[in-house]
Amino acid sequence: MSSEVAGYRAQADSIREAFERKFERFARFLNKRINGENVVDVTEFNLSLEEAQAELRALSDLETWYVGRKSQLSALKKLIGKVSPEERSGFGQYLLLTQIAGTDKIAEVESNLQSYIWKKRSERERVDVTLPGRRPRRGHLHPITQLRQRIEDIFVSMGYAVEDGPEVETDFYNFTALNIPELHPARSPQDTFYTTGGLSLRSQTSTVQVHAMQRRRPPLRVIAPGRVFRRDTPDATHNPMFFQVEGLLVERGVQMGHLKGTLSEFVRRLFGAGTRTRFRPSYFPFTEPSMEADYSCFKCNGAGCRLCKGSGWIELGGSGMVHPNVLRAARINPDEFSGFAFGLGIDRMCGLMYELDDIRLLFENDVRFLEQF
Amino acid sequence: MEISYNWLRELTDVSLPPRELAERLTMAGLAVDAVREAGEDFVLEFDLTSNRPDCLSHLGIAREAAALAGVGVRLPELTAKNVAGRAEEFTSVEIEDARLCPRYAARVVRGVKVAPSPEWLARRLQAIGQRPINNVADITNFVLHELGQPLHAFDLAKLTERRIVVRRARAGERIRTLDGAERELDTQMLVIADAARAVAVAGVMGGEETEISVATTDVLVESAYFDPQSVRRTSKALGLQTDASYRFERGVDYEGVRRAQDRSVALICEIAGGAATVDAIDVYPRRIEPPVVHLRPSRVEELTGLQVPAGESARILESLGFTPVAAGDDAEGKLFFSAPTWRTDVSIEEDLVEEVARLVGYEKIGESLPPSPVTGEYLAGDRRRRAARQVLTACGLSEAVNISFIDESNEGRFELLPGLQRVEGEGAFVKLSNPVVEGARLMRPTLLPGLLDSVRHNFNRGTRSVRLFETGRVFASSAEGDETASGEVETASDDIGKTAAGEGGGRPNEVEAFALVLTGEALEEGRAGGRELDFFDLKGALEAATDAMRVGELQFAPAAVRHLREGQSARILFGGAEVGALGRLDEDLAAAYKFRQPVYVAEVNLGALLAAGERPVRYAPLPRFPSVVRDVSLLAPRRAAFSEMRRAILSLGLEECRGVSLVDVYEGANVPEGKRSLTLRVEYRADDRTLRDEEVDSMHARVVAALEDKFGAQLRG
Repeated sequence: MSSEVAGYRAQADSIREAFERKFERFARFLNKRINGENVVDVTEFNLSLEEAQAELRALSDLETWYVGRKSQLSALKKLIGKVSPEERSGFGQYLLLTQIAGTDKIAEVESNLQSYIWKKRSERERVDVTLPGRRPRRGHLHPITQLRQRIEDIFVSMGYAVEDGPEVETDFYNFTALNIPELHPARSPQDTFYTTGGLSLRSQTSTVQVHAMQRRRPPLRVIAPGRVFRRDTPDATHNPMFFQVEGLLVERGVQMGHLKGTLSEFVRRLFGAGTRTRFRPSYFPFTEPSMEADYSCFKCNGAGCRLCKGSGWIELGGSGMVHPNVLRAARINPDEFSGFAFGLGIDRMCGLMYELDDIRLLFENDVRFLEQF
Repeated sequence: MEISYNWLRELTDVSLPPRELAERLTMAGLAVDAVREAGEDFVLEFDLTSNRPDCLSHLGIAREAAALAGVGVRLPELTAKNVAGRAEEFTSVEIEDARLCPRYAARVVRGVKVAPSPEWLARRLQAIGQRPINNVADITNFVLHELGQPLHAFDLAKLTERRIVVRRARAGERIRTLDGAERELDTQMLVIADAARAVAVAGVMGGEETEISVATTDVLVESAYFDPQSVRRTSKALGLQTDASYRFERGVDYEGVRRAQDRSVALICEIAGGAATVDAIDVYPRRIEPPVVHLRPSRVEELTGLQVPAGESARILESLGFTPVAAGDDAEGKLFFSAPTWRTDVSIEEDLVEEVARLVGYEKIGESLPPSPVTGEYLAGDRRRRAARQVLTACGLSEAVNISFIDESNEGRFELLPGLQRVEGEGAFVKLSNPVVEGARLMRPTLLPGLLDSVRHNFNRGTRSVRLFETGRVFASSAEGDETASGEVETASDDIGKTAAGEGGGRPNEVEAFALVLTGEALEEGRAGGRELDFFDLKGALEAATDAMRVGELQFAPAAVRHLREGQSARILFGGAEVGALGRLDEDLAAAYKFRQPVYVAEVNLGALLAAGERPVRYAPLPRFPSVVRDVSLLAPRRAAFSEMRRAILSLGLEECRGVSLVDVYEGANVPEGKRSLTLRVEYRADDRTLRDEEVDSMHARVVAALEDKFGAQLRG
């Protein structure tokens, strides 16, 4: 080895020694070898986030001092080309090893400090994930609307058109056209609201039957959901206003089997495929033959419970074949067309579905009530 | 109505056990609500439909049960043991009003001994909830429940001149009825009188003065058929409903009058002793003929889907008491039946079809869906209504439903939707003549009172943040003098509002309205203490809803509105027309409701918004070049409206100026009185290039200059 190279090597050695002295403060951030394994426990570093960040910056400064462009070691590297060819490789090798001895340590410390800093920062930015989400309090559709929309959806999918009619009605539509005789109790001011102008508030959505038949000629299928009014004093089971949905179908060759099939299909879609139905003869002025439809209780599935008063059945509503007088009132020939009609109480169904203990809740609009739906 | 199972079995051989019988009857249209055990007997509780008065007795139910079981009915003993003399020897009957009393029969039993009833009779009555009185009274009551015919027993000796006159009450005539009440009668009421005075309210209740007592020896048993409507009217007018009136007003068997009388007389002779007259005085001037109804056997299948052979239909009808009537030559296969005299509900072919179907059993009708020749559709505009509801709930508003009639005191307090009120003064609004809740007579001309009541209800229950919306109809009279409720006119309009416009037979104007109310804090789920809601929450919710309905842009013009507070109220305009108003509730109204925090309300004509059609969706290609925004902060007079500034900027004719939005508005400290600080953001963009800074600068300078010129605004640093 030429003395020149030996001198350079000695310079390199002293740079490295200087490095080792400067590095000493970082030594505690190095991995430890325990049982032949590299281990580091950053929690032992015992620094604040800011101190750790300062250490990292100091480390970076040390790296620059040791291997930066203007470092002594870089200056030595520039001499490699000037060394005789036979010594060049050995000298180059030596400098590289010197450099790596430092940069390896720096890299290790940097990595450890960095992960310590991430840990610290994550700790500082930790959130309580159980705090309430930032969720605007949403409003709720009235349960009657929700049920009405479901009913509308079912019948529209079965080919029915949704219809509507006036809430303040003439005698003709509210009674006469529905075959309700002149002196029938339903017409009395005990039962029906009258206006000072002699009109009445519709006491059933059946009023829409005749409107619909006049507006659309058969074949027709309509449902008419809406408000109806009866002179009941408000109590836990009555309101002077409630909601019904009327159904009407007028086609050629329609018979009671179609009515049964339609109502059964409806309750299966509303209450589930396993719902059963039962039909009993009944009486309504505007249908003949008439029938009352019951469906198996959705709560006990027909076994009998408090909701269905032990019978296993819940009343769905009245129905029947449209009375020939009603067809005639709409100028439809009862020998050519037949039809069926049914009426369901939306409030009553709502009351049962949610087991409301007081039906007046439906129109009080107590926010605590509405928010449950 | 209650029926004793043992009693029933005396009238028919039906062998079904009680619960099974109840089930069969229910499925045949005679609904049994409950079956109750009563000692060795069972009591069936019926809930009958109003068309079947014939079933309001053991005989009536026995007939049905017998027809269902295919067995016969057995009538009880009708022959009196001991007879002497003719009825006309002891009394007379005169009917003055045969329309109200088509038939009246009187029979006399002399020498009775009035005493408590024997145990079997008392027990029968007690089983069905009746209280025994004395043997004669109990027998008439027993026969009512056995055969369905109400009877009345007079103490013959107490009838002046011992005769019966059936007449209308005289003006101001009074009677003390059996319940001890003194009642004043009117001239439309039918009474049973003697030579001097009314002794019974016909078909309703007897009088106290001629009542059977322990001193009675001679009894006149009345059995009659009274006009159902007359009895109903009298019963209602007197507020007096009895077992008798209940049956008479629904219609009894006019051919069962004598049978029931004979039955009671036979029982009186047997139990109370005495001798009956051989006959009765039976005044029945015009025999009532039951209707003859035809049946085309094919109609059964056409209406019910049940395949019932003609012979089987006939057999069923006969088992129910229908009598076949010989068909004429032009019968065309029709069968003719005379209805039983007790079946007042049967008059047309469809009635016979129902009889056949219910006896065959509705459960035998096969279910199927009708073949579908038509398609379904929602109510016009319903998709848009649903969209609005959805958005409003997302905005935190819940849906309210209020009763359609409100207190009259609300009249005149609120400004109504434009165009709703068509008539001034008296009669402008729809009022109930018979409200059920005191004061609630007015069919609401606005949704607001209902919503404000809801707010108060919530406040009173400790909820101070309330956000509600409601849709529903509001009402006002349609046109002056248009109260002719002729009725049969139909309008081919889908719009209920329009239907009422003069062509609905005097129906009022019904308009679909939509209203909002907001008060309290903006709430977040699970968090408390939100920002106080203000005018702009209300406006925002309204705009969100109309946007969801794809209604075009609404304009808001500051205006004085009757129920709203000056300075925080605006009219809502759509396409130049006024469609409603919104703002903060007026102080006087708020005080009347005892509201101590601001309440914001809006009401719009939903029908008008929906009628205007839907704003179309038009795709515009996405911008290819970036936009540049510049903010401008101004000190401007408070009265300078944002919308005016915005319009002023957009109408400068700068093609590349794309929009103006509000960054911030501030009033208060460091801002002089009468001014406010506004920061606007203006967006600039060209379609064909990226704008250069100098271009934007020059445009923005014009914007700022315009604001300074037009509004006296000063640029802030």
